[in-house]
Amino acid sequence: MHRIEEIMKNLLSLLLVLITFFSFSQGKSTLSGYITDVKSGEAIIGAKISIPSLKQGTVTNTYGFYSLTVEKGNYVIEFSAVGQKTETRNIDLTNDVTLGLEMGAALSELQEVTVNAKKGENVNSTKIGQIELDVEKIKTLPAFMGEVDIVKTIQLLPGVSSVSEGGQGFYVRGGGPDQNLVLLDEGVVYNAAHLFGFFSVFNADAVKSVNLIKGGMPANFGGRISSVLEVNMNEGNNKRFRVKGGIGAISSRLTIEGPLKKDRGSFIVSGRRTYIDLIMKAAIPDSSPFAGSGYYFYDLNLKMNYKLGEKDKIFLSGYYGLDKFSFRSNEDDFKVDMPWGNGIAAFRWNHLFTNKLFMNVTTTFSDYQFSFLSDQDQFKFSLKSGVRDVGAKVDFSYFPNSRHKIKWGADYIYHTFTPSSISAESDSVVFLDPSNAAKLFSHESALYVMDEFDLNENIRINAGLRYSMYQHVGPFTRYIKGDGISTQDTSINYDKGNVIKFYNGLEPRISFRWLLKDNSSIKGGYSYNYQYVHLTSLSAVSLPTDIWYPTTDKAKPQQGWQASLGYYRNFFNDKYEASVEVYYKGMKNLIEYAEGVLPGDDVNDNTDNYLVFGNGWAYGIEFFLRRNFGNFTGWIGYTWAKTERKFPDLNNGKVYPAKYDRRHDLTVVGSYKLNERWTFGAAFIYATGNTLTLPSSWYVQDQALLFNYGARNSTRMAPYHRLDLSATLYGKKFKSKTDELTGETVQVKKKYQSNWSFSVYNVYNRANPFFLYVDNDGDFLQGDFKISVKQVSLFPIIPSVTWNFEF
Amino acid sequence: MKYTLILLSLFSLFLSACSKEVKIDIPGYEQQVVIDGSIETDAPPLVLLSKSNDIYSPTNLDAYLENFISGAIVTVSNGLTTVQLDEICTDNLPAGTEEIAAGIFGIPAAELANFHLCAYTSFNTDIWGQVGKTYNLTVTFDGKTYTSSTTILQSTPPVNMFYKLSGSFTDKGYSWVTLNDPPNQYDAYKLQYKRSGKPQFEDVWNPFFDDQFFDGKTFDFSFDDKTTYDDPNVPDNVKGYFNLGDTVILKLSKLDRSAYEFFEKKYNQLFNAGNPFSTPTNVPTNIKGGALGVWVGYSPAYDTLVCIP
Repeated sequence: MHRIEEIMKNLLSLLLVLITFFSFSQGKSTLSGYITDVKSGEAIIGAKISIPSLKQGTVTNTYGFYSLTVEKGNYVIEFSAVGQKTETRNIDLTNDVTLGLEMGAALSELQEVTVNAKKGENVNSTKIGQIELDVEKIKTLPAFMGEVDIVKTIQLLPGVSSVSEGGQGFYVRGGGPDQNLVLLDEGVVYNAAHLFGFFSVFNADAVKSVNLIKGGMPANFGGRISSVLEVNMNEGNNKRFRVKGGIGAISSRLTIEGPLKKDRGSFIVSGRRTYIDLIMKAAIPDSSPFAGSGYYFYDLNLKMNYKLGEKDKIFLSGYYGLDKFSFRSNEDDFKVDMPWGNGIAAFRWNHLFTNKLFMNVTTTFSDYQFSFLSDQDQFKFSLKSGVRDVGAKVDFSYFPNSRHKIKWGADYIYHTFTPSSISAESDSVVFLDPSNAAKLFSHESALYVMDEFDLNENIRINAGLRYSMYQHVGPFTRYIKGDGISTQDTSINYDKGNVIKFYNGLEPRISFRWLLKDNSSIKGGYSYNYQYVHLTSLSAVSLPTDIWYPTTDKAKPQQGWQASLGYYRNFFNDKYEASVEVYYKGMKNLIEYAEGVLPGDDVNDNTDNYLVFGNGWAYGIEFFLRRNFGNFTGWIGYTWAKTERKFPDLNNGKVYPAKYDRRHDLTVVGSYKLNERWTFGAAFIYATGNTLTLPSSWYVQDQALLFNYGARNSTRMAPYHRLDLSATLYGKKFKSKTDELTGETVQVKKKYQSNWSFSVYNVYNRANPFFLYVDNDGDFLQGDFKISVKQVSLFPIIPSVTWNFEF
Repeated sequence: MKYTLILLSLFSLFLSACSKEVKIDIPGYEQQVVIDGSIETDAPPLVLLSKSNDIYSPTNLDAYLENFISGAIVTVSNGLTTVQLDEICTDNLPAGTEEIAAGIFGIPAAELANFHLCAYTSFNTDIWGQVGKTYNLTVTFDGKTYTSSTTILQSTPPVNMFYKLSGSFTDKGYSWVTLNDPPNQYDAYKLQYKRSGKPQFEDVWNPFFDDQFFDGKTFDFSFDDKTTYDDPNVPDNVKGYFNLGDTVILKLSKLDRSAYEFFEKKYNQLFNAGNPFSTPTNVPTNIKGGALGVWVGYSPAYDTLVCIP
């Protein structure tokens, strides 16, 4: 423990030195404030504030706040943001100025704007391996079954691949699906999927911004070793009430937003529900043996914010989603119910200490639960698993001058894991009592400090250090297995609060940008991360039954490091952005189930007694060309990559390719605005097939045919490719009106807007492999026995239509 | 735990997945010897040897028959006595063993003489199974030696058997067993039955189970008559039932943990073939030296039920 105290002491002194050092800013003035949208009052994230004469500038943070400190003087200052007209102000900065700006005011309703606010960002920022997506653009791309899906769009980016056809799980640069930190308004989302992963939990109507960090993770993020997917919810319109919604093939949505108090606070409520169960109910008559079977999911997003004063603002965000699968076989008196879902809540408080020091305090609650309940005759069986987090964090942003942006903070999470709680009873005999479910408890915490600074005109560096700690605490029972003959099973009990194991580690992060010319730069990054929670999966496909398991005395924290280097260049006056990035990633203490483990083996035992540990690595090169502006937008991404694993206890200790090791991954995504009424979209994907393990031989024991599997992941499925198309037809946005004063006919924007969105998934009906299996048919002794390899495909061509409205 | 299996069924109901046959390269085949050996209380050891085959190799009757190995040296030792087993082949069977051989190989007794299928056993009663003893197996074939070991444990007889009519039937029902599992020790079981007059014991649907969920508990469970499902004379609506008045003989054997793991995974593989939710699971062997298969010792206990409620 001495070492920790020492490290903490050093960190704090470093921080003090930094603050004192940067506080010497005599002869300088600070311009600060919030930037909001004039129509909705919502904070604008990433708006750019620049002083062309000084070649200096900054961008607004997640809460729309900016702070820029420069030499005293009179300046022309430019404010720009995506979808907004650039505004220029002449500002006298002989003293500090607080300027809250509502952007978009000068815009005539008739003018459509596509201002290149992010112009140069690609080349200029230190962000390496980061991609931001525009939610409104995502809405014009083809959508599976008409459901606009952020995660599926993320999967179209280079370096990101989907777990399986239609799946929500995603792999970033050869890392596992549990190595992505998915945040919804800073609350951790443990299972970002509905319906076995085919639909995202993120309702696009409720989402404001999406940011993916696949390399060079800044020090304020931690707890996962591969990537961060940061999703921010809309705040709600604080000017007027608005309603929007959509009716689709499988679900409908409705969003209501409005002011709590005009210009001070607002709310937004967004709900979505599928109606597959209602269709099934209609299709299955009450007399059917399967009456009562069905499936549905719904989710609800809620957010409120309120400005307490010029310096304080509070936010409350909530998400609740539930999936429920029911199966009834009335003849066999057999029923199954399978509900699962996430609940997330976050309360945030923004406080401005000075015009240079911004603080955000967040408390979060995150809960994911899965249940499987079956009932047949007198036999009842239930399986439950879940994870619950209660956490708090505080982040400080300090803007001493235009050359430095310093952030520091701390976070803490208390985890409660229920890997599996099984109960079984027949008549009056209870085989397994759920009350003795093995729960695991742990504390995870971290401190960090980072500084983004300009070394000179061309070189900008973002350096940070994160220190993370983890304690696995009691109550806990460690089971030790005997061989059943000479030694029997024993166990060790730990009492509540007892520390079973403590881990800690330093996580250095650094990235740099070296500007070569105005339109090109080289960027590099290195990050080291610890991960204390693990997703363990027994199945070949991602399922809600995959369980989250904490680090224990036996399961060590996963560790990962990544180095990346990229060349960034913009063409044709920044209309096109291009980048090439190479990366290498090393991973330690990865987790898999031991060979031959079956579900339920860990009942009355510790799950980690069935886990094995090993290492992995991944490397690749990613090419990305994007056009963000104009009537035609889209991107082409290509990735060449390789990712492998080595576990002493798997595959005879030999290196094997990861399940999602893909050599080639190509995506072409485009959206074309033909006119005011029609916008078309297309997406094409080509990917090397996933690997899997199939039986390489058969043998016979007691007249039963058994299979022996070949090397792990040694078989490769056929390549995956697919084309999706979409078209959106907008209703007339304007109507003619006679101006009463002048008598002229003018065009005014209609209050009520609607559109029809048409999508075709898998246009050329390719039977893509979902999984393969070895089938056997017939009777050996009759001579008609046959073994064959079968490929199962999920989705054929699927057209869909959705009607959206807002007023 | 068959819940993943149920998941699969639910899942496939929901999605009308389509499947087609494909030819795909599956590397990794290496021919291995397969040992299928058992010994039980008061019975001789019995060992069958065969080979594994490439997944795409032919699967006709000839391939099945050509699989069996003869010419191996097989010995069994109980620590005191070591006996080399005799090779007995279907074309040269001792009188009266035809039905047993037919059961072992799955070939009608009348046709056995047409094949040269061999098993290894011994008529030396010194090496027949005894409770509490550990039996070491050694197989030498083609210059390689394979070894294994199994223990015949104390048997656990069922406490009781009874018959319960099903639903509204007045003459059809299931057979029930009351089991009292010994507390604080690992127990694994194999359940078989036969109607009186039948030569062979039949395995129930899932004949192997251990006490993971019921250590030390006393409880009832039922089983159905599996043979009725293949019997064309039994109407569909009454398949699985025992008839009022039937006599059922139960055979409940104990086996050790390493052998149980083979059978547990074997049945898991048989049930889960092609299920994407299960991990590819090789059936683990308790044989050392690179062979597949199992060497298992059973200690059976018997009980008889006359089907009257």
